[in-house]
Amino acid sequence: MTTAEGNGIKKYVAVYLALLVLTALQFIIGYQNIEGSALVVRMLTFAVIETVLVVLFFMNLGSEKPVFIKFIVFFTLFVLLTLNYGWTDSFRLLLFRLTGFQPS
Amino acid sequence: MSEAHLTMGAHAAPPMEERPFAIPSKKLAMWLFLMADVMTFASCVVAYAFTRNATPNWPRPFHSVTNVGVMTLIMLTSGLTMLMALRAAKMADKARAFRWMMITAAGGVLFTVLHIRDWMGMISQGVGLLQNPWGPAAFGSGFYAITGFSLLHISVGTIALIAVAIRYQGGRYNADDIEVVSIFWQFVGLVWLFIVPVVYLMNVAR
Repeated sequence: MTTAEGNGIKKYVAVYLALLVLTALQFIIGYQNIEGSALVVRMLTFAVIETVLVVLFFMNLGSEKPVFIKFIVFFTLFVLLTLNYGWTDSFRLLLFRLTGFQPS
Repeated sequence: MSEAHLTMGAHAAPPMEERPFAIPSKKLAMWLFLMADVMTFASCVVAYAFTRNATPNWPRPFHSVTNVGVMTLIMLTSGLTMLMALRAAKMADKARAFRWMMITAAGGVLFTVLHIRDWMGMISQGVGLLQNPWGPAAFGSGFYAITGFSLLHISVGTIALIAVAIRYQGGRYNADDIEVVSIFWQFVGLVWLFIVPVVYLMNVAR
């Protein structure tokens, strides 16, 4: 095994171990008595860190040209962010169901 | 330069732009497909989270997530074995690349079996597409829609892995093709890392 090959494998194993640790932390948080937005924020924070690691190292996006990275990241984030514009309606429905309010 | 040349030059089409991304067409196509697939998965997850948030008595039926933990471990490990296959293919070590790809595919098969086992457990508890014993019917439809879509991707990915490995072994495919299927496999693993917290870990029984 050459030095470069060995370094490459070490990098992948390091990312793999980091993913295992992050996932284990998610499972631990899942069993703790955390509710609501605190739970969502913690879970999604770990998931986003995992996403960055997988996309950059496992999908090798980090080794592509910067213009391609910008293209993928910008358009994907744009779609993901705009998909979330309806949350206010979700909270409105929750409020109606909790209070028994019937809009006329 | 003659006048005729100058006139032609003024009306000739401009030279083609150099390839801005400088990556193989197959890889570009896979990335574009994944950008579209992100939209479908994100729509499913956002719709599920929207419904869960708007439903006060959303059930928390998962007393144990051991099976899901093992599935996640398999998915993460198969991501690493897929990278080993890619590295071997780039070094033209066909035998090693084929072996790592088949190990990755075995992980996909094992994951699928455990996923079906998980579904059977839910079905035996009475969770269907339009019903569940704990209240809102939307739980069942949301659960099966998201996990089913993921299972479909992983099953197709496993078949693709085996097909590409066999064709690579036979000399019809090269390392670029393995890289394309590798990107897809890492993507389905990544999606699973979002499904686990949203569908399972936020609904652990307390």
